[in-house]
Order: sequence, then C-alpha cells, then structure tokens
Amino acid sequence: MMMERFEVIVIGAGPAGLAAAIEAASNGMQVVVFDENSRPGGQLFKQIHKFFGSKEHHAKIRGFKIGEKFLQEAETLGVKVVLNASVIGIFQNREVSVMLGDRISHYRANAIVIATGASEKMIPFAGWTLPGVIGAGAAQTMMNIHGIRPGNRVLMVGSGNVGLVVGFQLIQAGCKLEAVIDAAPRIGGYGVHAAKIARLGVPFYLSHTIIGARGAEFVERATIAEVDQNWQQVPGTEKDLELDTICLAVGLTPMSQLARIAGCQVADLPQKGGMVPVCNAFGETSIPGIYATGDVAGIEEASSAMIQGKIAGAAISLAQGYLSAEDFQLRYASYDHSLGQLREGTFGHENKGRTDLKTTDDGYPLSQFLFRKGYLADGELSHYPGVPTSERLNQELMPVIECIQNIPCNPCQDACPQGCIVIGSTITNLPAINQSAKCSGCGMCVVSCSGQAIFLVDVNYAPGYAAISLPYEFKPLPAVGTSGVALDRSGAILGEAEVISVRKTAVMDETAILTMKVPVQWAMSARFFKQL
Amino acid sequence: MKKPMERTFHTSEFKAQADDSLIICRCEEITKGEIRRALYDGMSTINEIKRFLRVGMGLCQGQTCNRLVKGIIAGELGIAWQDLEVSKPRSPVRPIAMKIYANDGLVK
Repeated sequence: MMMERFEVIVIGAGPAGLAAAIEAASNGMQVVVFDENSRPGGQLFKQIHKFFGSKEHHAKIRGFKIGEKFLQEAETLGVKVVLNASVIGIFQNREVSVMLGDRISHYRANAIVIATGASEKMIPFAGWTLPGVIGAGAAQTMMNIHGIRPGNRVLMVGSGNVGLVVGFQLIQAGCKLEAVIDAAPRIGGYGVHAAKIARLGVPFYLSHTIIGARGAEFVERATIAEVDQNWQQVPGTEKDLELDTICLAVGLTPMSQLARIAGCQVADLPQKGGMVPVCNAFGETSIPGIYATGDVAGIEEASSAMIQGKIAGAAISLAQGYLSAEDFQLRYASYDHSLGQLREGTFGHENKGRTDLKTTDDGYPLSQFLFRKGYLADGELSHYPGVPTSERLNQELMPVIECIQNIPCNPCQDACPQGCIVIGSTITNLPAINQSAKCSGCGMCVVSCSGQAIFLVDVNYAPGYAAISLPYEFKPLPAVGTSGVALDRSGAILGEAEVISVRKTAVMDETAILTMKVPVQWAMSARFFKQL
Repeated sequence: MKKPMERTFHTSEFKAQADDSLIICRCEEITKGEIRRALYDGMSTINEIKRFLRVGMGLCQGQTCNRLVKGIIAGELGIAWQDLEVSKPRSPVRPIAMKIYANDGLVK
C-alpha cells in the first residue's frame, strides 16, 4: 500500500498555520493543511474588531477580513486545505495519521508544522457546571460565527484583552455586560480596550474573584467577593449579581499534545501559557523537520502568530532547498523585525507580569488610575502629547487622542491626510499632535483607531455648545436629531446631548462617526452618546 | 512524581472539606473530593489517579482539567505542582469511534 507523501503538512488552518502554508507554497513547495474544524481560519474569523500594529501587521483591518485574505492567497498558491480532518497522532519519520470522515489515512511529510493553537483555561467554582458558564472565546464563537447571543446579562471574569474585547462585543450583540472582574488589582489588557467598555457604564471590580453561581436549571445569580494580596477572600465584601451568563477569560493554554506525542522536547512555562514544545528562533522543535508555530508555541496573539508562521514556512523552504540562504536571511531579518515590534511596549515581552511601570518608554506618566478603573481621570489628560493644549482647543476643531500606553500601533498616523498625528518609526510611541498641521475634521483618524480612542472636539460649534465626534459601532445607528444623554469616561451621565451628524462610508469599514452637541463645559469629558 | 514519593506519605486521615463536591473533571464528572481521596486510597502518581478515576480520559482528554487536577494533588501533598510528573498524551488525541480507528486501509 502506498502512503501519500506531502512536502509540507500543516496541522491547523489558523493564522499561524495558513501563514506557514502560504510562505512555503510561495516558494514552490507542495503544502497540505489539515484542520479539524468545518471552517478554516482558526481564531481569525471571530475577530470582528480592527487589529492593532502597523500596515504590515494588517492594522485597522478586521480579523475576519485578514482571514479571508489568507484563504484567498492559500487557494491561489495551490495550498490544499482539508477541513473536518483531525490529526490524531504524529509518529516516527514524520508520519501523520488523520481522521477524515469514517476512516484514518496515514501520510508522510518532508516537514510538519504544528499550529494547533490553544484552548481556554477554566477556574472551578461552586455552580460552574450550570448552563450559562462558558469561556469568553466560546461566547465569541457563538456571537460572531453563529450569530447567537450567549445570554442576556453577562459577568466577564478576567480583564485581559480577551475579556475586554469580548466584553465589548457582547454589548455590540445586545447583551448587558453587568461587570468585568479580575482577581488581580490591575486591569490586564490595554487601557483603550478597557476605556471602550468603561464609557458605556460597565463597572470594573478588581481584586475580586467569583465565589459561586446559583440557579435552578441554569445560571441565575452569581456571588463575587474581594480578595487580599494572598488571594484570600475578604469577609463582608460579597456582592450578589443577577445574571444568566458567566464568561471566563482567565487565560489560554497551548494544545501541544501532538508535539509531545511526536517526542518533541517540551517545557512548562507560565509566561508561554503552559506546556510548549521547545523551539529555536525559526520555530523548529527538537525533532528536525517538525516545527511549531503560533499559540501552541507560546500564547501571544494573531498578529504574532502570522509572522511566526511565515518564519517557519521560510525556514522549511530553506531546509528543503526551495529558498537560498541569502534570500532566507533577508526574509528572516524582516519578519523578525516585524515580530519584535509587536513584542515591545507597555504590554511587551520584557514587561510581562510587571506591576511597577510608572512611565511610558517615551517618558510620559502611565496612568495608574487607568489600570485600576479602566478610564482616565479628567485631570490626567493634559500630560499626553495626543491631547491638544487648551489654547489650541479654544481656537479650532482638534483631534483628541486618548491613547496613553505604549502599544505597537500606528494607523492613526497614516490615516490623517493633513499629517496631524505623529508617531514615528518606533511604533509604540504615543501619538502626538503635530502643532503645525491643521485638522480638517474629516474624522479618518477616529475610524482608523482600532482602540476607538480618538475624538474630534470643536468647542466653537455654537455659543455655549461643543461638538464631539466619536467612533460608534453599535446598531441601530441613531438618526441625526436624536436626543439622548452624553456619558463621561466612567459611563456616568453628564446630561442632555443631541446627535448633529452621523457619517458612515464604506471606507470607514463599519465604524460610524457620531457627532453630538453638548454644553461646552463637557467638551473634554463627554465621550459617549446614549439614546434614551 | 519527579521526586520519589512514599506510599505512606500521608500519615493523616482524609478530612472532608467544604468544596469536596466541586466537579473538577467535567467530562467524567469527577469531584475534588474524589481526587483528594484517591491519594489516601494509595494512588500517588498522576497516571495512577487518571486510570483509577478517569480524570482526563473523557471527551476533552484533560485539556480542561489537567492543570486543575495537578493543583489539587500538589496542594494535598504539600508540593509544588511543577514537581508532579505529567500524564502522557497518546494517540488518538481526539475521541474516535473504534470502527473508524480500525478503518485505516488494511486489506485482508
């Protein structure tokens, strides 16, 4: 019996796997990708938010669009993507067994890429097996892939980026996000992600853990309580919440079983999320010809996974004679630089786990209030280069960029046709207002900011009134003339506001610019409009 | 275990705890109390407990509970969970019907 052989077998059609496949195939290699799901793309297709990074990292493009692009590219290059194909084992001499339909097939590969990703961590608590307790990633799949609301009243446990991003998407899907809790004393994810939720009025309970969930047939109530520095419950701090869904966003852990079965050397590293195959800089494991890339090699994010995949694909091409040493060196240098950029900043590799950071890399104060509450205190804004001086604000319409942590991200700079926003070659720099440029009020910066952290402020809109333009990604879009209330950064109601303009064009990619009229004294505090 | 463990490690009696009824392995519905008690019943390695109780042998093959089980065992033995040996993953890594597993091209 002949065993079919492939030049490259990729296990997992997520961002890392597809990137590796595309890279190898672009060098002329024959590639097959096996994925156990019925749809390809891994985590990409449920990422409906705009990505960060720079243009080469697909900044300001929504995750699922990046996924579509990848699939197109893979198809064009002749990569074979086989769905509903579960790889059940990797054996000696790079032999792979795949369950497809009602049979097992065995294949040989010249090189294998393990790109099986990660699964969600769980924390057990009384009542955690009641219907209604789900992973945040599962909630995201339900909403964004299947169009099903996971519940109506949701508690998000975990304030890392997954919890914050999914929390916002739950609200977009029409759920009520009752609270975000975290046992840590600080919010784990980006300040801008927290701010998006805070200004909708969602409370953050830090140093809080979930004690239990109760209900007859499904979740009906949950108890949360404060914990001290030793993670012990503080008596008397219990809070009872009425809800029907508890989302757990408490971390991801690599699905590295195939690497271990293959005999790869593994290490259990907390900073990588768990047990990962030990790889060199090119993604090769301890077994020559077997590579591991993406979350399975260390929990990061989709943007990093894509670059890691490309690196592995290039390394395989070199090893198999499809890429010259010189070409490989050039590509690796470029990919490595790109990957390095994503790993810098306030949340970068060097700073992982640090709770003592007081300033940004470029010397601005890091708001500790933001870490604890999820929004900036009014008085803190003036410290930052993206916030215009009061003189300038009094003179003309100005962008106000409330992005105040070092995140590798710069689409705002490229978005402005007037050159109003400057970040520079170090893409983690805080965006700064260019003092010699004039804002035309086009709002392209507002819609290009993946963190939804840019506002246009015109204090001279009308006597006694300011016009505030903000990014709006909810349905239904309020009509011009709608009355409602303006909320401040903490979600507190300031008072009456009226919608004076709603702009939404194709190029804005589903982020509308809503402009509201508010009393001028709220110009630097009104940051959301709520219809009544 | 990475460190040699005496089977008479526990000289104390099993004491019930308030959260013993908490389900840890959701796939096989094994509780925290059952896992703790296994140590007093003579089990001393992850692999033994897995085979005795079936923790980690259900649909998700331990993806959800492995870490939790290790923590409970380590807590009970008073050691760091990193010192516990890991349970070995084996093919097939996904649940599979026997008739499919056997349908791999053998021609008789």
